[in-house]
Amino acid sequence: MKRWIVVASVVGVASLLPLALDARGYWIRVLTFTLLFAAMAQAWNIVGGLANQLSLGHAAFFGIGAYTSTILLVKFGITPWLGMLAGGALGALAALVIAIPTMRLQGHYFALATLAFSEVMRVIANVWTSLTGGPGGLSVPFLPPSLGAYSFKLLRPHAYIALIALIVVTVIFEITRRGAMGYRLRAIKENAAAAEVIGIDTTKVKMHAAVLSGALMAMLGTLYAQIAVFFDPDTVFGVASISIRIALIAIIGGVGTAIGPILGACFIIPLEEVMNDLLSSRAAGLSQLVFGIILIAVILWRPRGFVTVIELLRAKPTGRVSL
Amino acid sequence: MPVLQAILDGLLVGGVYAVISIGLTLVYGVMGIVNFAQAEFLTIGMFVAWFAWALLGIDPVLAAPLSFAVAFAIGWIVQGQLIARVLKAPSVAQIFLTVGILIVIENGSLLLFGSQFRSVTTVYQTMSLTFGPLFISVPYLIAFAMSLACGIALWRFMRSSWFGRAMRATAQNPVAAQLMGIDTALMYKIAFALGVGLTAFGGAVILPYVTVFPGVGGQFVVLMFTVVVLGGLGSVAGAVAGGLAVGVIQALSSLVFPIQLQNLVLFIVFILVLAIRPQGLVGASR
Repeated sequence: MKRWIVVASVVGVASLLPLALDARGYWIRVLTFTLLFAAMAQAWNIVGGLANQLSLGHAAFFGIGAYTSTILLVKFGITPWLGMLAGGALGALAALVIAIPTMRLQGHYFALATLAFSEVMRVIANVWTSLTGGPGGLSVPFLPPSLGAYSFKLLRPHAYIALIALIVVTVIFEITRRGAMGYRLRAIKENAAAAEVIGIDTTKVKMHAAVLSGALMAMLGTLYAQIAVFFDPDTVFGVASISIRIALIAIIGGVGTAIGPILGACFIIPLEEVMNDLLSSRAAGLSQLVFGIILIAVILWRPRGFVTVIELLRAKPTGRVSL
Repeated sequence: MPVLQAILDGLLVGGVYAVISIGLTLVYGVMGIVNFAQAEFLTIGMFVAWFAWALLGIDPVLAAPLSFAVAFAIGWIVQGQLIARVLKAPSVAQIFLTVGILIVIENGSLLLFGSQFRSVTTVYQTMSLTFGPLFISVPYLIAFAMSLACGIALWRFMRSSWFGRAMRATAQNPVAAQLMGIDTALMYKIAFALGVGLTAFGGAVILPYVTVFPGVGGQFVVLMFTVVVLGGLGSVAGAVAGGLAVGVIQALSSLVFPIQLQNLVLFIVFILVLAIRPQGLVGASR
């Protein structure tokens, strides 16, 4: 019961925050990207956390989503809302295509295969100039502001849409984790051979998780395109800018938990924005360097992420660790 | 004839790929860790050789042992202080620790040296030898010869020296090796330092025909993984075969496809090998 009060108050505060911030200011942008990246890390968490399949290629689905809705908008004038659904479908399809050859792979091999897949997508987007605009990137045309056209003058509506997306993805994650699929995924994570023996179709379960995760990731790509208004292949298909970053957010926060990606994003994205703002002109690479150091430190000293700090705090009064 | 020329170029370049990738497979073979930061040691090797050339006037190819030594020292510390702590940790910790090291090295060098491209000028840079209708580029040939020498030295070391045998024993069975009085922690340090040292060595010898900048290692990541996966992750002989194969595949695909698609062919080969024969085409077990 107490848990619900906490969740409700966090959502309440988060939904008031966009109103409190200057609608033309800098911080609303930081907030919007924090919410979006939390949602992306949460989508990754379905595969990376629950299924323990460490993908380093989720940028593939993200980029597919960004390009699908934007190309449909530019070439056919289709609203990004429908484009988002089309992107989600293509993202699911891409996840299925890459899952078929890679699902049997484990650990390092899976990470490598997904990394290569997203690089394939990046090269294709760079080369297929007639469709994607190539390395020059793609601009989202500005339409008269309306909800139906997913076009707004200010960032505030974007922040709310990102917040809703985060809530939706988190709920899907939590339902998956608590449901039958979550149990199956955990069984596979603990001992794949034993899971097979008790009758779990491990490949099928992992495939379900991958397709769900890929579809959500692609839909978030549309959100990114509408917020950023301009993007190129190296940004949306980037290994460092997307794939590693969202995995880092989930791991720093606490992989496999619903709160982990949110904690991670609330820490990483504002820190990154502030550091880039303060230092970037003088010292390129410094903010990334700091992230690398944080990542190493978290893995060595808090391998289960910031979540364990909350557990410690909670454990104190009762004297036991609750999970 | 262009096909023959491409195969020749591919073999020469592939010899270097073999040496830079052996480290990756060595580390995996001995400790079961895939080092995502391996390619960053190529960057380190290239920078060391570049500064040796720019400040001391040493030819980059002759600076290769220096690159090896610097990377060896860094690798020794990285293994002892960082990697050693996650040897028994789940793969998520292993993968993302090395990813963290990758980020630190890449951005550390960006911070120290800036993002500009640096290249060396040598007298032999544009020379080539003619054999009938075939050309042999001199910088390719020198890089290949250096890689070959380095590969033979490593092979002698692994075969004949006590350390080499102890390392192979550790790879086969760490517990048994420890019972025989082998300091496995020391073996891990040597393996890791040696592995990144070889990659840095390769970085120095390619400097006459590749420009160095902080992101240069990133361009070799998938290539190196393709090499070791083709040969079987953990197999040193496989990495040599894989390196030559990747060099030839790259050279041949550049005859057919535009330059931007050269890597695409490599990526697809990589995914196919992972999907069909993850133990490698050579199929040697570690």
